[in-house]
Amino acid sequence: MTSRLENKGPYYIDFPGRIKAIQQEMAKEHIDVYLGSRLRTLSWTLDAFCPWRSFVVIPNEGMPAAFTFVIDAARVADESWLDEDHVFGFVPMGGQDQIELIAEHIKDLLKNKKGRIGVENGMSNYLPEGNLTHYEYERFKDALPDCEFVDAYTIIDKLSMIKDEGTINRFREASRIVDVGHKAVYEAISNGGWKGMTETEIAGLAAYAMRKEGSEWEWSYTGGNEIASGYRTGLAGGACTPATRKKLQAGEPLMVDIHAMFMLGLGDHSHNYLIEPVTDRQRWHAQNFLDIVNLTLKTYRAGITPSLLAEQMMAFAEERGFADYMVPGFEHGIGMMGDEWRIGLNDGPFPFWTNPDHVYQENELIICAMQYACPQDNIGFRYENPIVIHKDGCEPLSKYPLTIDEIQ
Amino acid sequence: MPQELMYLTKEWRDEAERRLKNELTPEKMNFITSSMSNIYLNCPDGKNKYLFFKFVDGKLDTLALGEGEPPDAEFRISGDYQVFAMISRAELGSQKALMTGKLKLKGNMVKALKLAAIADRLNKVLSQIPAQY
Repeated sequence: MTSRLENKGPYYIDFPGRIKAIQQEMAKEHIDVYLGSRLRTLSWTLDAFCPWRSFVVIPNEGMPAAFTFVIDAARVADESWLDEDHVFGFVPMGGQDQIELIAEHIKDLLKNKKGRIGVENGMSNYLPEGNLTHYEYERFKDALPDCEFVDAYTIIDKLSMIKDEGTINRFREASRIVDVGHKAVYEAISNGGWKGMTETEIAGLAAYAMRKEGSEWEWSYTGGNEIASGYRTGLAGGACTPATRKKLQAGEPLMVDIHAMFMLGLGDHSHNYLIEPVTDRQRWHAQNFLDIVNLTLKTYRAGITPSLLAEQMMAFAEERGFADYMVPGFEHGIGMMGDEWRIGLNDGPFPFWTNPDHVYQENELIICAMQYACPQDNIGFRYENPIVIHKDGCEPLSKYPLTIDEIQ
Repeated sequence: MPQELMYLTKEWRDEAERRLKNELTPEKMNFITSSMSNIYLNCPDGKNKYLFFKFVDGKLDTLALGEGEPPDAEFRISGDYQVFAMISRAELGSQKALMTGKLKLKGNMVKALKLAAIADRLNKVLSQIPAQY
């Protein structure tokens, strides 16, 4: 995973600066302590991957403290920019369980034991989001009876929305690694190499190639590298395909959606194949998909909104006669590990979903994500690529050629 | 049979200091620099007492017995007098006392894990002092 020694050069992120920015926002909202529990918050503030239940406690001034399961605390301390005096491990022992340990730490920060504590309430369709659970909330309230608890996640969401150069460079490197994974898959399946291969095998050989390049893991909670072949590429509305033991077959499509992580920056790119013999109908579907992806990439820019872009793309698909096969969504949010799915702030008509009228700004980073599925023809395609929003366009971070390769 | 000393008295503390200095070499203490306060609640006289240990480079620097609020320490272990007495009599393990919540530890658990074996050595020396509770 990330090492504190690597936070330099093009990948440098000013973590103390991030904490100061949070503290400035806390002051505006009269928050004395920020209790972060979401994976996105932990990555964004600690620069360490926290796979176990973890918390970050940010005082209104000074250093934050991280709390995680004791079996992983020394590693988090080793990798984070925080020193070991600011990383605590909790265990089921007197005074050391997560509620009491953190509550006592907060009491020490609030010298008079009263204060306003910002927490991360909410919900997400991303399972590892890490909002404070009802049980945790109740226990913290019991342990800190004189404190007021308020929702404060917007502080992190607002500050993390526009990406700094170090973050973007980490994503650039993760995308370069993903491109190496795609090349390895292409070389392995070309010239009949696909025969006898399963989806899981494709996932594994991509993973091996990416790990050799320095990828930390195939980070997606959707099963790591998502590989689909045949009818599975065309599951209606489907955009989640953990690899199975299904063998690749002649005449079928193949979707290779692979993921790499570099210093908590995420690579996520999907490339598509047709295994020969290829029919004219398959080629028609393939051309439709390539055309709409190209148009979408040309359309993204600062000032556009998800709903405006979707309207334009669906109008194009309708005009071309393939609107029935398009999933009418063209992106999902992305940020340092744990920040996935929702774009922008929680200010849309449906709580904790992307606001369709979110106006993109320069240096926002999203995944351009498009799914084409025609179940009756047992065919589908997926495109994913992290893109940086610029004033007059967008920068796709994966440079892998946009094609649908026909494989012998 | 050696004379039994009353637990947590000045005489017991002096004997504890003598034994700790004689039996725990800096090598055995891994040359640590750290401090710990044991806080004994509900002592037989109704008071709360503390025993404060400070090691510098593995040598016992301070062993202080007192009442009320102890000096600041890197680790603070609090519990009922009877729980500490049971540990001293080897009737209860200190780990089990922590895991069942009979003792409370305040301090960085990651650092505490590094010092667990050292704490056991220290407790073993103290448990060998003939004492009345």
